[in-house]
Amino acid sequence: MGSYDLVNIEVTHESADEVLDSLSEASAEGDHTQTVQAARLQAGQPDSELRSLKQLDENSVKMLEHQVDAAYRALFEMDGKALLADEVGLGKTIEVGMILKEMHFRETNDSVLILTPAQLAKQWQAELREKFGLDFVCNYDDGFKGFDKHEYIIASIDTAKSDRHRETVLNRNWDVLVLDEAHYVKNEETDRYDLIDRLSYNYAFFLTATPIQNELTDLYNVVSLLRPGLFGTRDVFHQYFVNNNQETLVNRDELQDRLNKVMIRNRRADTDIDFTERTIDTRKFDPSPEERELYQAVSDYVKGAYSQDQGQKLVLMLLQKEVVSSPAALKVTIEKRLDEQSELTHAGELESILDLIDGIDTVTKQERLLDIVEEARDNVEKGRVIVFTQFRATQRQVLDRLASEGYTVHSFHGGHSSQEKEDIVEDFEEEGGVLVSTDAMSEGRNLQFCNIMVNYDLPWNPMRVEQRIGRIHRIGQKRSVFVFNMALKDTVEEYVLERLYHKIDLFQQSIGELSSILSRLEESGTSFEDEIFERLVTADSEVDLENDFDDMAVDLQEQRDLADKLEEFNSGVFDGFDLGANDD
Amino acid sequence: MTDAAISVTQSVVERFTDRYLRSLGCSIEKYNDRWDVVVPDEVDTELATGNITLVCGGEETSDKNNEKPLHPDSQFFQQILTEASKQTPTGKISIDTERAEIQIPSWIQEGNVKVSGTRFTPYYDRTALVILFQVGIETVSEYQSELIRAIAVDMRSEESLPQLEETFLRLTSMADDAVESTQSDLDKTSVQPLLNTAREQLVDRIQTTVDGIHQEASKAADAEVEEYRQMQQQRLQEIEEKHSTLSSKIDELGEAISSSEQTERVQALKKRKHLKSEYDEIDAEITDLRKRRDRGFPERQQEIRERHALNIQVTPLTITQVEYERGEIEFELIDEEIDRTVTVGYGSGVGVTEEIQCSSCNQVFTQHNPLQSLSDGLRCAECTSINDS
Repeated sequence: MGSYDLVNIEVTHESADEVLDSLSEASAEGDHTQTVQAARLQAGQPDSELRSLKQLDENSVKMLEHQVDAAYRALFEMDGKALLADEVGLGKTIEVGMILKEMHFRETNDSVLILTPAQLAKQWQAELREKFGLDFVCNYDDGFKGFDKHEYIIASIDTAKSDRHRETVLNRNWDVLVLDEAHYVKNEETDRYDLIDRLSYNYAFFLTATPIQNELTDLYNVVSLLRPGLFGTRDVFHQYFVNNNQETLVNRDELQDRLNKVMIRNRRADTDIDFTERTIDTRKFDPSPEERELYQAVSDYVKGAYSQDQGQKLVLMLLQKEVVSSPAALKVTIEKRLDEQSELTHAGELESILDLIDGIDTVTKQERLLDIVEEARDNVEKGRVIVFTQFRATQRQVLDRLASEGYTVHSFHGGHSSQEKEDIVEDFEEEGGVLVSTDAMSEGRNLQFCNIMVNYDLPWNPMRVEQRIGRIHRIGQKRSVFVFNMALKDTVEEYVLERLYHKIDLFQQSIGELSSILSRLEESGTSFEDEIFERLVTADSEVDLENDFDDMAVDLQEQRDLADKLEEFNSGVFDGFDLGANDD
Repeated sequence: MTDAAISVTQSVVERFTDRYLRSLGCSIEKYNDRWDVVVPDEVDTELATGNITLVCGGEETSDKNNEKPLHPDSQFFQQILTEASKQTPTGKISIDTERAEIQIPSWIQEGNVKVSGTRFTPYYDRTALVILFQVGIETVSEYQSELIRAIAVDMRSEESLPQLEETFLRLTSMADDAVESTQSDLDKTSVQPLLNTAREQLVDRIQTTVDGIHQEASKAADAEVEEYRQMQQQRLQEIEEKHSTLSSKIDELGEAISSSEQTERVQALKKRKHLKSEYDEIDAEITDLRKRRDRGFPERQQEIRERHALNIQVTPLTITQVEYERGEIEFELIDEEIDRTVTVGYGSGVGVTEEIQCSSCNQVFTQHNPLQSLSDGLRCAECTSINDS
């Protein structure tokens, strides 16, 4: 527009005398590069604020001071390459979420690769989406098309290093690499280490609660991946920091100083996290004679069928789990099986199981559940109780029964859309009553407004149990939490509960502790569920079975002790970065 | 054009402070976030004397026990920058082939043809000047804009070297491998003409930024002019109304004068005289306002526009003599089965120094019309797409 030209532009060139004069001065011998840098810094903006935090929804994520501080330091003081080594349960994932959100805000995250142990990949995906609004594709998603086809990827580290994907992963220059359970790469002779070593990235955030697994070299390896050269060569590092004769640390101050440049470790004792009390009430019931007969028939069938054909393991495992959940759940699977395979060898056996199911009029667990919800109705706000079951058929039956008794009920399962899920949780908060949910109620949903939950049936994967409890017993819960476990006596459920979970004190584990135990188990190639099933079907007698489960508990206890020891060891070594007095 | 400002993060603050203090001759003992600094007496600095303790990221508190907080906004760091930025504003750096990676031009990078090898043969040394300018753009309606820009000019040909500007910024960033400098061997008289050329180039190069601010300032000025016009229009209406009221009153008094008694008539005459003079004043104001309105209030417009004018202040901060090498580079190119070697003029840190044309249409290759094929010479994307269709 012409009229705009009516505003004058006046350019004034300031004198250059001062600068030109320096050409002939003695001061010109100084560090000119430094002066250029100072001039450039003077024009720069102080960049020391997590600008994206304002965008976060406080209802989705409650950020704690130590987390904000860690995110800040990783980004601004460590130039985007940091080892986040908080003690377990302090929310390292949240810290990474904040970091990624901030990088997203600043548009410095065109491509992000998050590598996690297999069993945690989906959990990461859900948390980043629900708490930070960051959408990642996971290698287990149907829509995953390869490591060169998406910008934001969460993948199991073993998938990434597999022959099929390795080259694609390495061919790309990633903006950001996040490595969960970074102690997995402690050994420089493994494929995992090699993968991370060769990956090309601009920023990296490694997470572990136990940077040192066995020896100080573990720390050297992990840190060297992140900041090559920080510790010099392996030999020099060893000579300088480890007293070979006594295998103790020397030059601690120096080690601490260098670690400070790359590692952040918050200790539980230094934070203001305070979990409320958790009360576990395990209720075991005598099954009715009909239920007992059904359990026996199904167990015999499973045992027999498995000994003939181990290929059917998954479905047999399912039957064994369903029989203690509800006859309704069992019925669905058996009918489906009979329908699908007309020439089934055990058809007669299955049909007689169906007859046994039909013979059950009263479902013991269902009736006993009424006692719990009744108690809750009288004692807690709006009588809110969450009942977890693994099976949709059980869920339906429980819902019908509760509704027939006049309870306000809500149903939550994986078939709902995200909006529906939101609405259900909101209704449950407002109206109270009983929410019957499958395990689709996963990470990221905040249900702290409820403090009573019931394990109507029990997953054989302790991680699942912890996730369930974690829905209500989390940061922000202000009341004591009550967890009710329901089990039929003399069934696999009782074994799992009594012999395994109680022995390792599963229900009292602090949040996060379990994942370090299970990560260790997974490392040794053991699937928890398989192990339970194998023991169940191969035991020759009741005594055998009990002994088998005891063995397993010992294994688990050992892992737990190891995890505890490691945690303790790491606490001792780092001691919140005060590495203690010099031994030298 | 890249702004030369460096974001001031805590890690940058600590790195710069550490280097600067040590370069002055200070010693530093670090205990986590606390740095004990000893400033020897002979050190020429205004920052401090004797022993001080710097607390990284610490709060700004009273200066107890000579403790000073160190963070992006801290007074101590600002003092360091002020001192350091004036210390050695001129110097010399060298960019040899080892320092500067080979720069593949965008007209190759953006196309289908791959580079399988490069060989740079330097023939002679050249000198350029890189001048860091601070630009302040001020106007009443907009926030003041501060830019910092590097302009690179070849000393002999006075040509602009934009790639060298990027290289210079990279080499003087806060990364660990920042370039080392020595004393410049140029004198004032040889630098002065180049400085003027650089100034012209700078003004040219910031034109887009200036245009944006100029447009906003003009809009603000126009809005003020319009506001003034409306105010005057309103004033005109008000006094026109008063004008007509006075006129009626004067008429009424005329009638009263002709029909009244002597004493009343004298009173009415006096009053009419008073009203008439008021009427004449308003009449003059109306005429003036109308005239000014019809001309568009030129004086007022002038005053408003002057007030909204953009004041651009250009200050040279540093002048760096840059020694670089010029010669030829061979790019070994591969396009499916065909390979070919192209030789073009090249400078270390400067990139390709000549324009290359398409063998078919003679258009110069650019980022938007890159080299696409090696069959029948070097062919651009446009020619290739025509043949394909």
